[in-house]
Amino acid sequence: MFYWIYDIPSVALAVLITGAFVAFSWLGTIFIRPILRIFLRKRADINDLIGYMLSCFGVFYGLLLGLLAVAAYQNFSTVETIVSKEASALSALARDVSGYPEPDRTNLTWLLRDYTRYVVRYAWPAQQKGIVPQEGNTRMIAFHEQLIRFEPKTPGHEILHAEALRQFNNYLEARRMRLFSVTTSIPGVMWSVVLIGALMNIALIWMFDMKIINHMFLGGILSAFMGLMIFLIASLDNPFRGELSISSEPFQEILSHLMEE
Amino acid sequence: MILIAALAIATGCEPLEKARKVLTERDDHQTIKLGILHSQTGTMGMNEMSLRHCEVLAIEEINASGEFPKLDFVPVVKDGRSRSENFRRRARDLADREKVDVIFGCWTSLHRKAVIDELENPTDLFRTDPSNAKPNSHHQPLLFYPLQYEGFEANRNVFYFGSTPNQQILPALDWFLSEQGGQRKRIYLIGSDYLFPRTANYIVKKYLESRSIEIVGEDYLPLGQRDFSDAAKRIEQAAPDLVLSTINGESNFHFYQDLFKQGIRSDKTPVLATSVGEDELRRIPPEFVHGHYAAWSYFQSLDTPESKAFVRRFKRSFGLDRVVDDPMEAAYTQVMVWKEAYKKAKSSDPDKIRAVLEKGLEFDAPGGKVKVDPKTHHLYKKFRLGRIGIERQFEIVYESKDLIAPDPFPAFAFPGWECDWTRGGLIKGPVPNIGL
Repeated sequence: MFYWIYDIPSVALAVLITGAFVAFSWLGTIFIRPILRIFLRKRADINDLIGYMLSCFGVFYGLLLGLLAVAAYQNFSTVETIVSKEASALSALARDVSGYPEPDRTNLTWLLRDYTRYVVRYAWPAQQKGIVPQEGNTRMIAFHEQLIRFEPKTPGHEILHAEALRQFNNYLEARRMRLFSVTTSIPGVMWSVVLIGALMNIALIWMFDMKIINHMFLGGILSAFMGLMIFLIASLDNPFRGELSISSEPFQEILSHLMEE
Repeated sequence: MILIAALAIATGCEPLEKARKVLTERDDHQTIKLGILHSQTGTMGMNEMSLRHCEVLAIEEINASGEFPKLDFVPVVKDGRSRSENFRRRARDLADREKVDVIFGCWTSLHRKAVIDELENPTDLFRTDPSNAKPNSHHQPLLFYPLQYEGFEANRNVFYFGSTPNQQILPALDWFLSEQGGQRKRIYLIGSDYLFPRTANYIVKKYLESRSIEIVGEDYLPLGQRDFSDAAKRIEQAAPDLVLSTINGESNFHFYQDLFKQGIRSDKTPVLATSVGEDELRRIPPEFVHGHYAAWSYFQSLDTPESKAFVRRFKRSFGLDRVVDDPMEAAYTQVMVWKEAYKKAKSSDPDKIRAVLEKGLEFDAPGGKVKVDPKTHHLYKKFRLGRIGIERQFEIVYESKDLIAPDPFPAFAFPGWECDWTRGGLIKGPVPNIGL
């Protein structure tokens, strides 16, 4: 629903999310705090009580945010490894193909180039929109068809062909894993808990009884930090989206190599 | 959003300005899907890949040109798998599911006819939801077809960007019958056994009927044939002074190889090919084909700035070792012509595009000026004859002075048949016996 945030540059997104949290906290301090004070100011130890509740709540909420940040980072890092494995297998395949006799060498190189160009120019931008790219599959079938049509006539070609087939299978496996990762993200229900938790946290801050300037300053700092944490998790979530995403650079390198073949 | 806009204005910060644009202009961009339907797999996969590349190149160039700042043209590519049934199914997908208004595609006549039939008479099997289908309620995109073909076809929803026999085969024969071409008298016809070669040779025989030219032999071999040794022997025995080849696809390698083995050389018995372009030549050793001829409207060796720029752009996008040929140039041109029509029609609606094209739209293609013929939906094109050099490129030995008008129904071959979409459409005559 909020995928448009990934079209915004990271710096601006950080400012936007943090600013939104701080603004929300300040607005509450100005408009909701006076209403809350009507009910709460009668108790002398209200600040101690709210402070105690906030620290309890903060532990649980902090744990949730911390674990989510780690999970998002681990997911990001796993997908990055998958992409780099896929690029390595593709590069090895391109190297194997260059050893085939003509006309198979040219045919296979062109098909591989066609596929890699598609990944860089079309599949990656589609992934960045959360769409699982499908057309690459046909290009892989075309490559496979051409590959299995080759009949080795020398022992050298037999070894080369076996190795190319092995690399092709490795590549397919890594590719499949990448496609599965396109839509992996923190579930919506978890995001709801995080946002409701943040709201409750800010609402607790509004309940303190102190001078408004001090209130806005302390509430602003706490809200800004929560905003930053949520920005971090959102940036790392959806590994193919946004400025802080896995780039197609390894494939671009292979493509530029294949273009010069 | 207000906060970010205020911050962006206050600070003049670039990321914030970009964020403001994302937030305020994100719904302001439109996309138009353009269907591309070629075989990516199967026997025609390698050939049709090159056409697809040229169509994609054209679309990418249109997007990059900035001519339509709020529009993105998106290629929707489907695989015909070199099978008619699949072409039908994918054409239906493009029309029903993707809702495209135009399909650029096909190579063989068989696939083209399957697609035309499917678009006009949807098969329930391939419809997205046949139970809801009302009669004549189907969306019918235009088909743009880039290959030279046999003619004898006209369809209101199809625009043909390849040459018809009177723009390719017949001018080539005229050249070989002239003094410059050696005044050939004995012609051997050989082709793959399917619609295009049969119809093309039917037209050739009718064309030569009134002249004192002898057809010394006629051979049809299955598409994909790999052994031409017997055919080469028959050619040697018939002793023609010109072989007209309508062999298609990978068979060409084996055909030229067996001719070479049989001792048939281009200096005495040249082969005039109608389906061998630069893309096919890369698979054939130069010694087999050196000195033979091919008839097309465009060759990569065409020495004009437009052609050179086109070749350069294509190589930059798809690899330095790539070559371009006539069908590829036509594939590129058809997308550009559609774009010109879109610009004038201000809509991708098939009826509006057709109306613009039927006014006789002209376009400066890489191979020179072309013009849509409103009557037949084909192109006015130049004819060029090329001799194969040792570098697997063509030396252009003849070029028609003017654009040649398309004639899909030459009167000497199809009496009584006429086509004029500006006045009543297709008039059918007696169906000739082509021998299929």
